[in-house]
Amino acid sequence: MSELLNVQNAKERIDRIEDILASVAAGDLDARIQSDIEDDFSGIEAAIDLLINDLTEELRQREKMQKDLENKLSKIQDQQKTILQQQEDLLELSSPVSKVWDNILILPVIGTLDSQRTQVMMENLLQKIVETGCTISILDITGVPTVDTQVANHLLKTVTAARLLGAECIISGISPAIAQTIVHLGIDLSVIRTKATLQDAMIFAMKQSKRADEMRTLSNIALTNENVD
Amino acid sequence: MNLHEKKIPIIKIHDYLIVPIQVDMHDKLAIQLQSQILEEIAKTRAKGVLIDISVLEMVDSFIGRMLSGMASMAAIMDTSVVIVGMQPAVAITLVELGLEMPGVDTALNMEKGMEMLERRLKSRKTDSF
Amino acid sequence: MLEFPYNTDCDLLGKFKIDTEYDIVTVRQVIRQYAKDMGMGIVDQTRITTAVSELFRNMYNYAGGGEVLIERGEVESHNALIVTCMDQGPGIENLELAMSDGFTSGQGMGYGLPGTKRLVDRFEIQSVLNEGTTVRIMKWK
Repeated sequence: MSELLNVQNAKERIDRIEDILASVAAGDLDARIQSDIEDDFSGIEAAIDLLINDLTEELRQREKMQKDLENKLSKIQDQQKTILQQQEDLLELSSPVSKVWDNILILPVIGTLDSQRTQVMMENLLQKIVETGCTISILDITGVPTVDTQVANHLLKTVTAARLLGAECIISGISPAIAQTIVHLGIDLSVIRTKATLQDAMIFAMKQSKRADEMRTLSNIALTNENVD
Repeated sequence: MNLHEKKIPIIKIHDYLIVPIQVDMHDKLAIQLQSQILEEIAKTRAKGVLIDISVLEMVDSFIGRMLSGMASMAAIMDTSVVIVGMQPAVAITLVELGLEMPGVDTALNMEKGMEMLERRLKSRKTDSF
Repeated sequence: MLEFPYNTDCDLLGKFKIDTEYDIVTVRQVIRQYAKDMGMGIVDQTRITTAVSELFRNMYNYAGGGEVLIERGEVESHNALIVTCMDQGPGIENLELAMSDGFTSGQGMGYGLPGTKRLVDRFEIQSVLNEGTTVRIMKWK
């Protein structure tokens, strides 16, 4: 009878297929049916084995891709960390405060000032004033193309805070554009000492410093005289 | 030491009073300090007062007003007050708070504060001649 | 108690009562320590400490004291230190006026609220007459 299937040990073999499929589903990708018996059923068994092969291959590829992606992601995260770090470093670097004379600090500002950079700059300058004991500092903004209200206010704040510490802060190099902006914005910079150029500011600061020195000598002489009396 | 028992010392050297504030002040202590300094000025006839706030990590509006009030009151009594050694963070915060303390003399450190007072005293002496 | 428009998943760091002037000093020191632990810079530490000192003084002077809640949480993708000050005092009659800058310029007048607001990243206030005032401030790390 041609319609009758020629299958040996049907029960056990179906059980085995079930077992293998179960273990594949559970993650054992090496499991295969690999039946030795040749009959009408072996085609199905071979086909299932082939399917498992395909599935395994696909899963392996997917795993590999995922690993690649994860690697790339961590690399990008590392790069981002570096960028953030460099941004912070740049902020620090972009506001170098240097002591140029006995009693004088200079902070040359170059490039666009945003709120955050101005903030860092202000903290740096004030810290340096305290560390060095310099009573005069010059904030030179010749290299700053433009300022907005917030930045102008920060500059104003820096000068006021410096005064609270016991130091004077002169702003030099205000460009025509910035002068226009400041007046248009209605910010009152009249309370601040401004000088046209860095040179003017330097001359002013040195005179101021010399005067303080003379005063000191005078008062020292006065004190010694008093002691002699 | 208990917060309640803290007292701020006032040291007299020559014509000057030196007040090192070394505790986080509460309001009562600040008021008490103000009258203590004024009494000491009257008693010792000091010509200048140096208030050292270099260890103060915070100055709020109350302490800020106490300090600038102190300066005005002493000025009426013919004495100069110099606030010495304010920390940068404190200065920034005070300015943002809106307390710019106009008319209050400040100095970076004790030495500079002392020089400032001596200059004051000197110019006053020449005035009187 | 007054409710604020949004709730966040915050960790409660501490709860304190302000009854005396000494409490003001103690609690503001606690808050500075939390700010330090969060990694805030020295200027931000000073800002938040000064801000809470102003708020505590208001509670003490106008309401005879109050409660303080210190929390830490994520707000608008910022790591935030959150301080809420609650009192059951007389309340503020004209909030808009109290929040306008001119109001504080008088010596010792007003509540110093505009200045305090400038020191923090977020400032919320609610006040009901004869019921009390709640102020919540936040500082980003």
